[in-house]
Amino acid sequence: MDRFILNIIHRPEMVPEYAEKVTGHGKEEDLSRDSLLTESLDIFKTQQSIAHKHGFKTTIQMTYASLFNEEAVQLAKEHHETYGDEIGLTLLGLPCEEFHEKYKTKDFCIWMFSMEDKKAIVTDVFEKFHDRFGFYPQSTGSYYMDAPLIQYIKTQYPTVKCAVATCWEEGPKAYHTCNNSWYTLFDGGPWNPWIPSKQNTHAPAENEEQDAGIVAIPHLSRDLIACFDGNGSNFGTHPQNVLRGMIYHDGQYPYLYNLIDQYRHLKRYNRGYAYNMMFVGPGWMNKMGRWEAPYELLLKSYEDAMAYYAQLREQGELEDMTMAEFADFFRETKTYTRPECAIWRDILYGSEKQLFWYADPYLRTCIDMNQGGALVDLRPYAAKIEWEVGIGTRHVQDASYPFLIQEKYRAGYFTHYAGEGTVKSCKVVYNGEEVDLCLCRTKAHFSEDGDTRILTLDPVEIEFHDLSVVIQTIFRFQEGSSAIGIERHILEMSCPEAEIELLEYFTGCYGTTEYPEDMTGIVLSCGSPEEEKRIEYAYKCREEEVEDAKEASVLIPQIHTRARVWAEEEVSAYIREGYAFSPMYTLGLKKTMKNKEVLRSWLKVEKAD
Amino acid sequence: MAQSGKGRLNYRCPSCFMRDLDIDMFYDKEKEEYYCIRCQYTGTEKDVLEKNEMARFRYRRMMDRITEFED
Repeated sequence: MDRFILNIIHRPEMVPEYAEKVTGHGKEEDLSRDSLLTESLDIFKTQQSIAHKHGFKTTIQMTYASLFNEEAVQLAKEHHETYGDEIGLTLLGLPCEEFHEKYKTKDFCIWMFSMEDKKAIVTDVFEKFHDRFGFYPQSTGSYYMDAPLIQYIKTQYPTVKCAVATCWEEGPKAYHTCNNSWYTLFDGGPWNPWIPSKQNTHAPAENEEQDAGIVAIPHLSRDLIACFDGNGSNFGTHPQNVLRGMIYHDGQYPYLYNLIDQYRHLKRYNRGYAYNMMFVGPGWMNKMGRWEAPYELLLKSYEDAMAYYAQLREQGELEDMTMAEFADFFRETKTYTRPECAIWRDILYGSEKQLFWYADPYLRTCIDMNQGGALVDLRPYAAKIEWEVGIGTRHVQDASYPFLIQEKYRAGYFTHYAGEGTVKSCKVVYNGEEVDLCLCRTKAHFSEDGDTRILTLDPVEIEFHDLSVVIQTIFRFQEGSSAIGIERHILEMSCPEAEIELLEYFTGCYGTTEYPEDMTGIVLSCGSPEEEKRIEYAYKCREEEVEDAKEASVLIPQIHTRARVWAEEEVSAYIREGYAFSPMYTLGLKKTMKNKEVLRSWLKVEKAD
Repeated sequence: MAQSGKGRLNYRCPSCFMRDLDIDMFYDKEKEEYYCIRCQYTGTEKDVLEKNEMARFRYRRMMDRITEFED
């Protein structure tokens, strides 16, 4: 396969987010202001016109508010007839006089409503859509669609086959960027389209039984380095996001094209398939300008982006599809267990940093080559954590998929003077000296062997006082295994007779934010068939070790997750409990190594019943 | 003293932007300056624009067209 697919989505949002708050400053709130409605529809027309001028078909996602507007409905019908646009239905854009009168609330994010309200709103919106168009939509979406919501929609409206279901890594970072006032808390999902499970939208389905029945697409295609560390709304295939990030000069923004091109390059890791999604809400192109950018620049950036996509299509490098067409294509070509892979290089900051992102139905992880191949993010999808969100649940706003490792929120290698952070890495010990591979910057190369994806890191050199050691790390991801294989090859030692010790360790916690969760109830264990040692977490800083051990594991009942590490070679296994100032746990494997030897270990995440 | 309002464009506080915070500033007509209600930054439009340039220091490849992505 050699295909780069583009979804272009527009929504006639009669009261665009931002527009009322920003451009209406100094006026009483009035969602029916004529000037607001007229401008909103004008922006939609402008976006449609730009796409059509370049020969693209779009997916028009009607909003609830737009279903009450005769002109918006007629435009959608005309554009469907003339250009082949799909008419879908978004659950964004609920606010309007009719919605407020009916539901008596200013809430507008579908995932935050109570389940009872979700059902009522979905029925209302979908039936209104049917009244206006005479059919039910094939695509829908919001910034986030929780699993019970998708299940309800799929049950009631089985025509739906595609949905915008999350914004990649739009969680606490985006919340902070918005002065702690924008509650899109849903980190932890895939960055490219996937088939969500019935249990949790973020976690891809393992099989038909778990299949939620739709193809999920992310809102925008986002920079896999910049968004991991920074605001998700600055670094995506959304021209005005790039302006928001101030990533332009003199009306030029080559970064936007670099971002699109790097997404095209992901074909290299995904058997010839790559994807892009552009979905700019009308509020981002309002006449008053936004984020220091005048309207002229907002408009130009959208025109330029569309022109670049058109150029790629003319070169035979891009295909545009509607959301429903994409869902069909995806279903035809995707298998449940096939992973999504991405070696992502820094295209903005000049660091030459490289991350490897991997997602399959069992786990999502990120490997940082700038830290010697340390795992810096780990989400246990195998646990299929049921995490209901919205009013009346335990998580009114927080829809993130829990992590075991997240170095930005819960520290990684570096901590301040005390305690540990979450990371999976390897320490090399010799004669009382200890070096962590986190301090060895390197690069990685991707290859495949049957159904195993292989990440081979360039060898790194570790210098002790009187010994230097060259070590190479290789990761193996065997499709469907729910495990990551990690090989540490001792390629060379300056003193061939020397012995070093490797500590292959995994320091984790669990959570969805920067703040610690209660670790009480977590159970650590290590052992062999003959001997097992356990620690029930009580912040007592205890350690246990078993020689000639089979594995070390952690059970986290709070998120129904178990993680295990083991090795093919004979090793000692150890477990470490944390303490209140360092609320972490560590699983480790220890082995004395000689020149040319290899330590082959595994990390596996599982659902714990 | 009359209340403040938004300026010509909704400038954000450059000092907060550099710590990944988007917060619109307000404009004091009498002092002819923008000010941040979260931090202590104040400045004229000219100063805001200069500081916005400074905020771009981290984007060392901002204007480069990158075409090689091979690992």
